[in-house]
Amino acid sequence: MKRLLISLALAAAIPAFAQEPIKIGLVTALSGQSARAGEAITRGLQVAIDEINAKGGLLNGRKLELLRRDDESIPAKGVIAARELYFKEKVAVLIGGLDSPVALAIVPIANENKMVFMDPWAAGTPITKNGAKDNYVFRVSAVDELVDKAMLQYAQKVYKAQKPGMILVNNPWGESNEKGLTAALNERKMKPAGIEKFEGNDVDVVPQLSRLKSAGTDVLFLVGNVGPSSQVVKSLDRMGWMPPIVSHWGPAGGRFTELAGPSAKNVHFVQTYSFFGNQSPVGQKVLKALMAKYPDIKGAGDVTPAVGVANAYDAMMLSALAIQNAGSTEGKKVRDGYYKIGKYEGLIKTYNKPFTPQNHDALTENDYVWAQFIDNQILPVGMHK
Amino acid sequence: MIGSALVSGLGLGSMYGLIALGFYVTYAVSSTVNFAQGSSMMLGAVFAYTFAVKFGWHFVPAAAMSLVLCALYGLLVEIVAVRPFARRGSNAWLMATVALGIVADNTVLFTFGREPRGFVLPWASEGLMVLGIHVSKMQLAIPAFGLGLAALLHWFARGTKYGKAMLAVVQNADAARLMGINVPLAIMAAYAVSTAFAGAAGIMIAPLFNVHSDMGTLFGLKAFAVAILGGLTSAWGVMLAGLLFGIVESLITAFLGSSYTQILTFTLVIVALAIMPNGLFGRAELKKV
Amino acid sequence: MKLAGLIVAFAAAIAFTAMGNSYYVFIMATLGLTALVGIGLNVLLGLTGQVSFGHVGFYAIGAYTAAVLTVTLKWNFWLALPVAALLAGATGALLALPAMRVRGPYLAMVTIAFGFVIENIAVEWRGVTGGQNGIMGSARPTFLDTERAIAIAAIVLAALATWGFHVLTRTRWGAAMRAVKDSEVAAESIGLDPVRIKTAAFAISAFCAGVAGAFFFALSGFVTPSTFAFSQSILFVLVVIIGGAGSLAGPLVGATIVVLLPEFLAALAEYRLLFFGALLLVVLWLAPDGVVGVVQRLAGRRRKPRLAPAADVTLGEPRRAVLQAERIGIAFGGLKAATDVSLRADAGRITSLIGPNGAGKTTVLNMLSGFYRPDAGAIRIGGVEVQGRAAWRVARAGIARTYQTTQLFGSMTVAENLAIAGGGEALLSFVNYRGDLDVRAADLPHVDKRLVEIARALATRPSVLLLDEPAAGLSRQDKQTLAVLLQRIADSGIAVVLVEHDMDVVMGISDTVVVLDAGVVIASGAPADVQRDPAVRKAYLGEHALEPRGARAAGSGRPFLVVDRLEAGYGAEPVLKGVALEVREREMVAVLGANGAGKSTLMRAISGLLRPVKGGIAFGGEDITRLPAHNVMPRGLVLVPEGRQVFPELSVLHNLELGAFRRGDDAKADIESMLERFPRLRARLHQRAGLLSGGEQQMLAIARGLMARPKLLLLDEPSLGLAPAVINDLFAALDRLRAESATILLVDQMAGLALALADRAYVIEGGRIVASGAASEIAATGALEKAYLAVN
Repeated sequence: MKRLLISLALAAAIPAFAQEPIKIGLVTALSGQSARAGEAITRGLQVAIDEINAKGGLLNGRKLELLRRDDESIPAKGVIAARELYFKEKVAVLIGGLDSPVALAIVPIANENKMVFMDPWAAGTPITKNGAKDNYVFRVSAVDELVDKAMLQYAQKVYKAQKPGMILVNNPWGESNEKGLTAALNERKMKPAGIEKFEGNDVDVVPQLSRLKSAGTDVLFLVGNVGPSSQVVKSLDRMGWMPPIVSHWGPAGGRFTELAGPSAKNVHFVQTYSFFGNQSPVGQKVLKALMAKYPDIKGAGDVTPAVGVANAYDAMMLSALAIQNAGSTEGKKVRDGYYKIGKYEGLIKTYNKPFTPQNHDALTENDYVWAQFIDNQILPVGMHK
Repeated sequence: MIGSALVSGLGLGSMYGLIALGFYVTYAVSSTVNFAQGSSMMLGAVFAYTFAVKFGWHFVPAAAMSLVLCALYGLLVEIVAVRPFARRGSNAWLMATVALGIVADNTVLFTFGREPRGFVLPWASEGLMVLGIHVSKMQLAIPAFGLGLAALLHWFARGTKYGKAMLAVVQNADAARLMGINVPLAIMAAYAVSTAFAGAAGIMIAPLFNVHSDMGTLFGLKAFAVAILGGLTSAWGVMLAGLLFGIVESLITAFLGSSYTQILTFTLVIVALAIMPNGLFGRAELKKV
Repeated sequence: MKLAGLIVAFAAAIAFTAMGNSYYVFIMATLGLTALVGIGLNVLLGLTGQVSFGHVGFYAIGAYTAAVLTVTLKWNFWLALPVAALLAGATGALLALPAMRVRGPYLAMVTIAFGFVIENIAVEWRGVTGGQNGIMGSARPTFLDTERAIAIAAIVLAALATWGFHVLTRTRWGAAMRAVKDSEVAAESIGLDPVRIKTAAFAISAFCAGVAGAFFFALSGFVTPSTFAFSQSILFVLVVIIGGAGSLAGPLVGATIVVLLPEFLAALAEYRLLFFGALLLVVLWLAPDGVVGVVQRLAGRRRKPRLAPAADVTLGEPRRAVLQAERIGIAFGGLKAATDVSLRADAGRITSLIGPNGAGKTTVLNMLSGFYRPDAGAIRIGGVEVQGRAAWRVARAGIARTYQTTQLFGSMTVAENLAIAGGGEALLSFVNYRGDLDVRAADLPHVDKRLVEIARALATRPSVLLLDEPAAGLSRQDKQTLAVLLQRIADSGIAVVLVEHDMDVVMGISDTVVVLDAGVVIASGAPADVQRDPAVRKAYLGEHALEPRGARAAGSGRPFLVVDRLEAGYGAEPVLKGVALEVREREMVAVLGANGAGKSTLMRAISGLLRPVKGGIAFGGEDITRLPAHNVMPRGLVLVPEGRQVFPELSVLHNLELGAFRRGDDAKADIESMLERFPRLRARLHQRAGLLSGGEQQMLAIARGLMARPKLLLLDEPSLGLAPAVINDLFAALDRLRAESATILLVDQMAGLALALADRAYVIEGGRIVASGAASEIAATGALEKAYLAVN
């Protein structure tokens, strides 16, 4: 009996010894202001990898292994880390780019060297639409251009916006949305009441908001991470000005109600996924896995930013399918593997041929939902009255 | 709009001034500063949040305990990152304090958490109407506290023997020792006080802001600009420079737009120092050969 | 040897780059470019002593210019590169203007602000810079169309820059930069224009950063504002400091550490920064002044001294010119320091400027040399008006000078100090310097510093030589040699202007003596005439004999301070080699000896300033050998240190109050008694102590010491640098203390003064007590002559 157990254990162990793991690289901000988002991506990937490995891995039992590098949100550092992972560690898929500039800097390396780059977060439009003949960059995330159109649509439909004003965090993400929102407004022959920027660590945004107010802003477009967004809400409170606020997904990145106070619920923001409410079987499975793996997650409210976790989970699962389809970890084959993905029941949605040579974005504007914070829960707008 | 810009500017400026006073205290005693003063401010906020929110202490003991811990961190800064270099006449303390700041920020990142947290103090955000805008009590308390502290420091430096002893240390350390002044102790005390000031600023700013490991960086830098503009030689000068910096910043934002804020304020810093090389309120040292 | 090592290192780097994978290639390229910025910054920080926390701004200018020109305007990279580098260099020269006016933390702030302004312009000037998302596009330079080629080019650039730095340090410009770093004042006085030198350093430094920036863009194919954040500037400074500022290999070592360390830590993911910070601290602890310095110290070998030749040298004929000052005057904050001063210094003559302390002598010298701008009057040299001109222009017009406290370029060797002023080793022979030519000037003994400083002044081939108290602190024998030297300088045709307290020297060699009192010329003429002038006698000499008047009770016989077998020093060789002495209660004891005998070291050791020491020091029966100064002082042993050492920025009153720092009681009554004891302090009670004259400062220092109500007062060289009349006042004050039966241990060069007051005396020579006894005995025996004059 004992001998049998040992030989069984050995038999189980042999493939693991014999087969090199498939390395998955991650380049993202793991320190500094965006550390939380980097951690969310890590968690989404890790839960997916654990799930895949538990099922026996890929390509005849090769396990996946996650290698992470901190880019400190600086493109130059991201580029070095990407090269290290591609050329020294020889990762099959590089996942990364929390910040659009970092992702954009990595894009040419991926395309020139025919290596796959998967973006689970950065929403800059040209990351996937990069003009390369041979495109190796994929994304499972929102696209700023589309989010901005959706924001305007929502503002017009719900609030009859005539003169929207923008309050944007002064970083690449804010600027990318400034372009997107301006383009969306132009399309409808509209002009913004004003465009104001603020620093991520600004305490008081009243001067900027006062300008927007006196310019006659009727709806406020907000782009900023959860901390900066809460400073805008608190500043509005102090001014006693309560315009409707239509926001990018920033507020979902943390405990927005705790940070912004009771007015947090006035902010309506875009989401690709929410762990609150009724969950699909995949949603239940992922939440359970997260709670089992990370002791600080006690419920849906602790999965922040949810979009990071959800996008990363689906990005990893889709990449695994691509590797399986390719039957190899070689860049070109894996890239073509993405095109061969058919129907896949994911966390965010059920994907059906998510990638084609013409389309490298798995999510579309139809996948956006509008949500708001009610107490500590992110609920779709309208669920709570 | 000018009213609200002024109120915002005063609030911001007094925060800068408060942290800048920390630069002044150590510079006045030892000609060195903790270049990572923003981290000290962050620690104040993080400690206070931990005691007041996580442990549920009353605000007053929580704040007091935080200040004590900040002061201890100040001692650590002096012992680890300043003294080993200043003693040898090396100015590598500049780099060492930056390094220690990186360590502090990242240690907090992993212990306190990556998520910004809200330090909710209901009484602090209640407010009144001033010049047509709603101002929270804390926003009014910060300038009052800052000016009060500057007054206290001024009185301490000019009016008490311990204050004069501190000033003597930087002018001639050997002679100060001959007066019976314990020079290493005086410098350590300055660092403890300096860090406690930054911590106090952190605690006061936290309810208006949010608490995270990175919250001090920009503040620390602007506060350094303020300390330099103030001339590093008088507490009043530093506090006034803080108010001025805050007001100029808000006025530029309010009237020219936020695109110009950073460029213009920092250009003004360069111009101001080119015209007044010892700061707006500094005094030229005696030039003798 | 060192160069061979560098060549091997560069060759190895290139070989590695030629073979490594794309990751290693990129790392090596980054390393090369970081080193290039570091070498440029080393010119600024290491050579010129100017810190810049905004260097990323220049790097950004280079990168953005290359990006805009090659991507937007489709220029060839090789055309864009010089534009980028020159634009960065020109901006550097421009930034030098405001940077010139500020120092220390103020300069740091100006450069930080500059970096921020550039970063934010990159954010806001969207049409050109592409805003936050920057400019993308790979416009690979012709010839360098692979990353590998660019990486090799970056290493070659770093090698070229290293070579350039090596060459620069050997040129006059490099020496001038180091001179400005060591002493801006002295640099001006040998005709160097600090503004131009610092501007050049800023421009060179920015140029290097601009070149590196342009290559950075060629390499990576993108520029964004976040790439050029403040933290990157700090890393650049770190490259220089961690490697070793001013050293040739420093930035290379620094760049290697700053670039490679994070790579070794990459697998730590989110913990990388934490460990990077901690390791940085460790490296700084181990090598606070750079890794290169530590290595050199470990591998340090002894160098054979190269002695200055003893030769009979004569000076060449100078451009003869008369220096004339006509009714010049200046006031500081309402206080008139000099009024209507006129004087004339003829070629080949010695004109001395004398007067009591605080009479304005140095102020006049400062105006003559261009260091101060006179409020009124004219200064002419050879008929050309020079008043109001910058000091370096005045120096070039032919006025050289020396300083009260010597202002040599401390980090440069004796030979380099001469060379930068344009002089050779023959001048050292002329001034009778016989020491090592290759020793750092900062390490010279006092006498040699004076001599080298005079030689350096002569090296500028001046028409006029201004000397500020050249004899201060010299032994009698050295003073005589100096007097002969000054005579020889005048004989060569130079107009010598001498400010000096030593009347033997002044009266012995002067052709004309000008007497200043309270900023006004009160007499002028031949030495003998001036000596007879009653106004001068009254104001200046004050004919009191040094005769103690007060009677005093004898010492009690109980030993109060006992020093036994005391050994102490600063380096390997102890200065004190087993000193034993004692002071009894109510006794006044003098310690006499020539300069460098160890008198001040003894005082520092007894007072606790110098620790650790070997041997024993007991005070009032208690062992104080291991106590630091601030614990010795409260026991009643108070030192009035050499050179006064008042707190210059504090008022006289506050200085006095600090004297009573460790007393718990109210010191007001004592302050009143001090003002009564030293009446001149009363009028100055609320003035900054730094504005007092030397004599007043000495009185203040003694009063401050007395405020502690000492049981034993140590006085270190109270008469140093004081005018005779002031010495009389000082003597009176000490005599009064003597009469009050205070216990005093007095060290003074003026043996006459000390012996007149003391009950007993010790003679110290070469760190040992060579004689001791009653003051009258010591005065009678030959021990003193031997110690002072080396007469056998």
